[in-house]
Amino acid sequence: MTGSPAAGRVAKLTDIWKSYGAVPVLKGVSLALQAGEVHALLGGNGAGKSSLMKIMSGVIQANSGAIEINGRALAHASPAHAQDLGLYLVPQEAHILPNQSVLENICLGLAASPRVLRSRVEQLVAELSVSLDLDAQAAALEIAERQIVEILRGLVRDARVLILDEPTSALTPFETNALFQRVRMLQAQGVGIFFISHKLREIREICGTISVLRDGVIVLSGSLDNYSDAEIIDAMSRVQIAEGSGKERGGRKVSQIGKPRLSVRGLSGEGFRNISLDVRAGEILGLAGVVGAGRTEFAETLFGLRPQTAGSVIFDGAELTKRSPRLCIDRGLVYLPEDRQQHGLFLEAPLFWNVSSYLVHRLPFFLRPGSERKVFDEFRASMGIKCTGPGQEARGLSGGNQQKVLLAKCLSARPKVLILDEPTRGVDVAARNDIYELIRKLAADGVAIILISSDFDEIEQLADRVEVMAFGQSGGEITENISVDAIARLAFGASEARHA
Amino acid sequence: MLDLFARNRVATLIVVLAVAYAAIGAAAPGYLSGTTASVVVSSSLVLMLISLGTMIVILTRNIDVSSGSVLGLSAAVLGLSLNAGVSLPLAIVFCLATGGLAGAFNGLMVAYLGIPSIVATLGTLGLYRGIMLVLTGGRWIEDLPQGLKALAANLGFGFSALTIVVLALVILAWIVLRKTRFGRYFYAVGDNRAAAHHLGVPVKRVQFTAFVATGVCAALAGVVFSAQIGFIPNQAGSGIELKAIAVNVLGGVSLLGGTGSVAGVFAAVIFITSIDSALVFLKIPAYWNDFIAGAILLSVLLLDGRIRQIIDRRIRARRYAVHDRGPTQSAEATMARTLEAGR
Repeated sequence: MTGSPAAGRVAKLTDIWKSYGAVPVLKGVSLALQAGEVHALLGGNGAGKSSLMKIMSGVIQANSGAIEINGRALAHASPAHAQDLGLYLVPQEAHILPNQSVLENICLGLAASPRVLRSRVEQLVAELSVSLDLDAQAAALEIAERQIVEILRGLVRDARVLILDEPTSALTPFETNALFQRVRMLQAQGVGIFFISHKLREIREICGTISVLRDGVIVLSGSLDNYSDAEIIDAMSRVQIAEGSGKERGGRKVSQIGKPRLSVRGLSGEGFRNISLDVRAGEILGLAGVVGAGRTEFAETLFGLRPQTAGSVIFDGAELTKRSPRLCIDRGLVYLPEDRQQHGLFLEAPLFWNVSSYLVHRLPFFLRPGSERKVFDEFRASMGIKCTGPGQEARGLSGGNQQKVLLAKCLSARPKVLILDEPTRGVDVAARNDIYELIRKLAADGVAIILISSDFDEIEQLADRVEVMAFGQSGGEITENISVDAIARLAFGASEARHA
Repeated sequence: MLDLFARNRVATLIVVLAVAYAAIGAAAPGYLSGTTASVVVSSSLVLMLISLGTMIVILTRNIDVSSGSVLGLSAAVLGLSLNAGVSLPLAIVFCLATGGLAGAFNGLMVAYLGIPSIVATLGTLGLYRGIMLVLTGGRWIEDLPQGLKALAANLGFGFSALTIVVLALVILAWIVLRKTRFGRYFYAVGDNRAAAHHLGVPVKRVQFTAFVATGVCAALAGVVFSAQIGFIPNQAGSGIELKAIAVNVLGGVSLLGGTGSVAGVFAAVIFITSIDSALVFLKIPAYWNDFIAGAILLSVLLLDGRIRQIIDRRIRARRYAVHDRGPTQSAEATMARTLEAGR
């Protein structure tokens, strides 16, 4: 589909390569977009979608390859340059200047006189039939409105190519419908749109063509009508023969699983509602879902970081109310956060401080660095943490070793229930296997584990049972024959599921 | 109601100011007079200039704590030039150029070398004061020519040539920041730097320009200071940078960048200066000044902080309310669950 040069072509990418350090993320991607085409771009986490978008919109530079927008080449990586050529990226989270007015947000950086801009924006607002108070402060905008602001930014810049990055991830069905109507209007005006989404149903509704990206390569591309949902999911999630990773299951027996440790009943909070689940001693419960399904919010609510609005949490037979992180740690409910740089590690502090930081409230008034170092050294030996010594700063470690330090920190609290949020994100294959082994060993020692992961392979390999979350709600449970396909079907909310 | 209050900080400040004036006027008849007004205005000029410059930098989400030293350094350049026989206009040009250069060095370090502004300007706070002391040999500069002092002389209605220049500059700043595209950039860079970059705003150049403008403002404050006092002490301008930051906060300029208005800063400067003059009028000993100014600043900030918290909580609640809107949301989930049950 990259070949035939059609008159109405608005964007063309040829043989794009990109790697970060030694890790290639895009391996020769070619794509084309016609005027009036809505082109779905799909891919699992880490498939290279976001890199591809950033390259197209001039945020980062590709290592090689050519990008053509409206017949002109994108000469250097700069968002302003890409916008000049007529491409606008509507990011998943709108870039909003909260203290400026809506109009100022839309028109920032444009040279025309305010009166001209205002009338143009008003015209666009009317054409899209949205109601938007241009003089209101942007901080008060709802998420859907922020997205409209981003789309208007693109249109007022005469964009012929729009990239919508998971535009519906935070919208209600009603708002989604309204968005789709607007997308159709744009389509009728000849705007080409790349539509990035995880939701097959929506893709079916709005897109005409599809490309699926996996491991930096386009594995499926063409008219959407030619492919069934099953084919698409299969293309997206097909298990790669990974480099030397142990793919076999843990080999633990179900009989090792003991009494219930944690029961959650009808828990609701910020970003999720009515979640119920149980996890038993020695069990690994996979909590699967796509990004934005509400899993992290759920975990943070369990750990007392966010307020709950309904439901109850029963830990070891007693209800745990008024949870705070300290209370949870003291009882043995421990959370390993998703973002180790922001929420996990003290990057400038020595490693042994990091490991003892969970229990710092139990340390004596006058610290005994000697014993803290000894604790660290034990973990270092048992987990194979590669470092120059307990005094090294956490910043200097590789992602995998940082993750092990974080895990050691959680283990220092002797958890009974351990919530692991994306424990292998940004971790290389070898360290990943080490971490898998550790997780299995912990479970064998009787720790109840909730494993949150967007990597369905990982869940398939580790979990004894899977709960899927989708759109902030429970998306179903898988107790037998856990497979990437089964998880994906529930997580993506595919219409295919109806006749599975 | 809250939104209105939070958004109209300037109006709030003016109301407080009016109430305070009325109270003082009632307690000490004769305070509300043309004479008081002209005293307040002329004694506010230095603080006005420093606060205005500081505001521009704060808008871009940086801070400048070196402006007191820039004031001192450029005043020293002015005084030394004049005493060396340089003509007054040329000496003023030297003085402003010194301020511009000092600001440009701050801007270079912050915008292009990536040094956090608090660190960079703490360094130059000492450095510029040091250069001043080296230039003057640690001595005060006295015997300034009459021509300089004449700039501060009353031309009628209590206005001096300097008052007119400063007020013109305030109006100019207001126009640039409110009415021009480049002025908008200062707000944008401070409000959301990534978004500004995303939309093609020259983020680095804007930050650099803000520091240069601040330097020039501080140098002009040096001219005003020298003309009003008639000599230049070693510690000219020392400590005024903190007062200027306090004024900015009082005037509704967010230290996180992106919000604030010239009108707010103007009102806050007049407010702070009025307190000083009112205390004199009420025969309250001058050593109460700092206590009262500090207490007023803190009460305004506490109130403001509470309002902001409430607004943040509302925005957050609204964001997550997305998931609580009716049963249609769960269509996919219900379907999947039905499927599970059917197995």
